[in-house]
Amino acid sequence: MEQYDRRPARQVTVPLVRRDSIGASHHVLTFEYDTPLEAQAGQFVMVRGTNWGQSPFLPRPMSLLHGGKRPSILVKVVGEGTRRLANAEPGDLFSVLAPLGRPWSPCSSHRVPILVAGGVGVCPLLFLARTLKQQGIRPVALYGGRSSGDLVLYEELQAESDLRLATEDGSAGVKGKVTALLDEALMEADGRATVYTCGPRAMMASVVAAARKANVPCEVSLETVMACGYGVCLGCAVPRFDGGYVYACSEGACIDGRVIDWKK
Amino acid sequence: MDLQVKIGELSLSNPVLTASGTFGYGIEFESFFDISRLGGICTKGLSLLPRVGNPPPRIRETASGMLNAIGLANIGVEAFCKDKLPRLRELGATVIPNLYASSVEDFIALAERLDREEGIAAVEVNVSCPNVTKGGLAFGVDPVAAAGVTAAVCKATRFPVWVKLSPEAGRITDVACACEEAGAQALSAINTIRGFAIDTETWRPLLANRTGGLSGPAIKPIAVRMVWEICQAVRIPVIGVGGIASAEDAIEFMLAGASAVQVGSANFRDPMASMTVLEGISAYCERKGLAAKDLIGKVVLD
Repeated sequence: MEQYDRRPARQVTVPLVRRDSIGASHHVLTFEYDTPLEAQAGQFVMVRGTNWGQSPFLPRPMSLLHGGKRPSILVKVVGEGTRRLANAEPGDLFSVLAPLGRPWSPCSSHRVPILVAGGVGVCPLLFLARTLKQQGIRPVALYGGRSSGDLVLYEELQAESDLRLATEDGSAGVKGKVTALLDEALMEADGRATVYTCGPRAMMASVVAAARKANVPCEVSLETVMACGYGVCLGCAVPRFDGGYVYACSEGACIDGRVIDWKK
Repeated sequence: MDLQVKIGELSLSNPVLTASGTFGYGIEFESFFDISRLGGICTKGLSLLPRVGNPPPRIRETASGMLNAIGLANIGVEAFCKDKLPRLRELGATVIPNLYASSVEDFIALAERLDREEGIAAVEVNVSCPNVTKGGLAFGVDPVAAAGVTAAVCKATRFPVWVKLSPEAGRITDVACACEEAGAQALSAINTIRGFAIDTETWRPLLANRTGGLSGPAIKPIAVRMVWEICQAVRIPVIGVGGIASAEDAIEFMLAGASAVQVGSANFRDPMASMTVLEGISAYCERKGLAAKDLIGKVVLD
């Protein structure tokens, strides 16, 4: 695994300054830092409300939408912790540990980056698309969900990429799974692509298989439960293809998709 | 502020340690704070050979705590001595390796391997892990078996031997007394308590291991009660552990009789948790005009 510049994580208490709700279940939360958070695309934070008391006991791992003076995360409500995040008001204080995890690897200059997002998996990929734009690279982005309501932030992604959408009910883009778009994009790239993907496990498994077939590199961003986010609880184990486990927080979040055993 | 406490012949700069399995090998925390400030660091449980641990899901949050079934994933004692211990020595940390084995012979081999090293303050014998199929809890619920392991480790090492007790022993004080007689210099209490959580949609267990050890504030009152009972039954020092998230939690354990405490799961949600507890105890002692050791066993029972 290549080296990258990993800044040590800092734990800070910061206020929420914005909550932008996208429908009932998706929210972009923006925090205000005193000194900018230097984070790279693909890195994540552990976030917990200072008023949560003893339950929920643990912070929540959340992928970063961007770093800087006002870093943002994208929250989809799936349980108690995310519900509390979604109900937070500007001024509420949060304990944030960041930046965490391995970011996306850089894309080699003679390859086309293909970003494949499923649902809220768009978060680290939008960060990546913005980073690529700063480097003068416009990636291909494929974004899928069950229906158009799942395609949050697609306009933002469209601004940074050649975006193609897919929905299972046909309410936006082509009808079907996002992986159908991938075959086409891989053909266009003619073996000179690097695939980056984040989304549901089954989707990422298909993306990794397609990239392998096309003989191009493919990184995935792992999502698991985790207690600490910095390598000590060992709760975020993901099975490796050759036995044993990788730890999503410290060996991921972003990792070569071939390392993972997708059958388990 | 006098925060020193004595654990047998060992003098600790303060009563705040970190619990095994919640603090890695210590050096993971190097960028967060000066780990030599801790009273001590109980390492992730070390086995003779590396262990990959249990399949996922390994953890599940529960009300005021969490279940874990990590399965003692660790790098093995050799890699610990080679790759971690030198840095811990450089940093001036007070290191208490936690030992796990599934046989008395392997416990002896572990203790003998560590005995060749410098920079170890004590060893903590884990006879209480609920998440492994062999050893672990089997030693910890039986006073005779626990005493057997304790005596064997004591004979194999020059370092003070602490034994980490399980709350699942029918009578934890019987195990405590047996370990004391077998030569333990201190007892850590308690390890996690086995729990079970079920997904109501799929009707399946939420952990791959089915059961897992419950930790966090949810178990603190049980831990304080057990520490209090053990302290009345033994003369050796007891180190309180179980759900400590604040200085007040730690002080409660000390009033119940603990000579020191270990901060566990709270490290997960805040890497600075042990320092917050330490600073809180220091402020408390200053406010009360007491030394930390003056708190030990001072619960008022009239």
